[in-house]
Amino acid sequence: MHPVIFIGASVLVGILFAMQEWLNARRWGYKIGLGFVSEMWGMQFLLWGIICWLLWRFLRPFIINARPSALLTRVLPLSIALSIMEEMIWVLFFPRVPIDRPPMDYWHRFTFQLNAEFVDSIAIFWCAFLFFRVVAYYQQFREKETTAARLQVQLVQARLSALRMQLNPHFLFNAMNSISSLMRSDVDAADLMLEQLSSLLRITLERGEVQLIPLRKEVEFIEIYLAMQQQRYAGRVEQTLSVEPGLHDALVPALILQPIVENAYVHGLSKCTGRGNLAIDIRRDGKRVRMSVVNSGIGLQLGLEEPGHRGVGLTNVRDRLRLHYGDRGSLSVREVGTGRVNVTIALPFQNNARGTDEAARFDT
Amino acid sequence: MTIQIALADDEVLARQKLRLLLRDQTDCEVVGECATAGETIELVRAARPDLVFLDIRMPDMNGFDVIDALSAQAELPMPRIVFTSAYDQYAVRAFEVHAVDYLLKPFAAGRLSTTLQRFREQSNGCHPGERGEPNGERHTTRIVFKSKGRIVFLPVSEIRWVAAEENYVRISTGDETHLLRETMAHLQDRLDPQLFLRVHRSSIVNLQHVKEVRMDTEGETAVILVNGQKVSMSRGYRSKLQRLLRQ
Repeated sequence: MHPVIFIGASVLVGILFAMQEWLNARRWGYKIGLGFVSEMWGMQFLLWGIICWLLWRFLRPFIINARPSALLTRVLPLSIALSIMEEMIWVLFFPRVPIDRPPMDYWHRFTFQLNAEFVDSIAIFWCAFLFFRVVAYYQQFREKETTAARLQVQLVQARLSALRMQLNPHFLFNAMNSISSLMRSDVDAADLMLEQLSSLLRITLERGEVQLIPLRKEVEFIEIYLAMQQQRYAGRVEQTLSVEPGLHDALVPALILQPIVENAYVHGLSKCTGRGNLAIDIRRDGKRVRMSVVNSGIGLQLGLEEPGHRGVGLTNVRDRLRLHYGDRGSLSVREVGTGRVNVTIALPFQNNARGTDEAARFDT
Repeated sequence: MTIQIALADDEVLARQKLRLLLRDQTDCEVVGECATAGETIELVRAARPDLVFLDIRMPDMNGFDVIDALSAQAELPMPRIVFTSAYDQYAVRAFEVHAVDYLLKPFAAGRLSTTLQRFREQSNGCHPGERGEPNGERHTTRIVFKSKGRIVFLPVSEIRWVAAEENYVRISTGDETHLLRETMAHLQDRLDPQLFLRVHRSSIVNLQHVKEVRMDTEGETAVILVNGQKVSMSRGYRSKLQRLLRQ
């Protein structure tokens, strides 16, 4: 909120109190100028407006997150100190107050004022504090809603791009061309490849709206994708996939690995003529899950010069990591050794405590 | 003995695919084809096939209704069923009515061969769980689960070994592995102890696939499977395995 608006609103409240006091005074037969009362109240609320605005500006995280114990140990002393300070400043501005009394020195006036107004000041502070907490909660709530909505959009995009991966000329038509070629040379292999293509489509379509899925489901998807690529590259690429056993239930964003593995093929492995290799390694690293995809190929520079969609795929991965995990998720792309590219995703380890939907069934 | 097969699917191309693939199987004979549930019931009554490839979604009734109608006729020998469907949500129900297999369309020729091989084994009675052993009832003969976008009805005899991976077990069959959410203790409980042995805290082997037990130079014992796979073994289980292998 703009400070002028905030402090202006605070002064307005002060003026309302002043009007009330002025009306009361008239009713009881006292004579007191409206201007003077307004000045006194206005000044008090002006000071509080400035104090509260400063608090909001600089201590917002503390105000939002303070625990109940901190309310006693930190906020209560703060409220007392600020109330005293406010009264000290206020008294400076009004040497004639209290009125109808012989002149007093500053400290005398201060103690008199403190006596009369201290409780009110404390009340003002706590009302403002409470107001801030409520506003902050509301803001946080709104923020969460917005983030959820954005995640939803991102997931839809990821699903669409996974579908596009299967339906784009690169993938679908080449896969179909492979099938068409295999139909003449090796009918069983053609059959198998169609089965795998269907499995990928089926899993993509069935996954639904879920944002985070157990790692093993993501890995399962990658396994089919790899099996298909293995056929297309006719054993030219040596694939390894290792997953630390404790991570099968770790939650990861759906389809987070697929664009990276796809990139490894499209921008790396497909460009090299000899034998290539692709290693996917997923392990736990303290409180994080680290997923790395290393592929041989032609390195980063050459791979990036091409006007491909590497940028789009990785940007989408990066965005989704940021939306889900903030600073705790990361994506790094670097060249390791000659022509080898290492893409690593790191994200916080979260276990899917609920276990899973579909267990195996036994007959008896 | 030839296997008499009926094909039930409302799509002519789906039936044609099965017919062509089955032509390569020397012991299979297609005795009839039908496009509706009503025709299927008639065909089964007339031709008495051993095996029916049954589509689940058909114009008049679904595949399960066909089974209900057939089993209501006591005088009719119930054929074994292989479900074929583009949908995977009926798998558990199919398993519960003791279907031989569940083929998700499109399926490859290899997948169909596996199905027929399982049918042959089950009808020859060489299926390990069906040998009628005294406590055989408690032990499972088959497991159903989803793996890699497919439905698997896995006879336990095809399991070579099982490895624990935290809350999961990894089941190795001949050429692939499947990850199941199961505990070793529960799985061991469901498997016939005459056939499956726990050789380590984290592994179970199928004795039919064990070639030998070997001790390396450091005194570590390992079970060697027929395919050369090495499974490490705890000392405590060694004498038990040797006793079982001698039988």
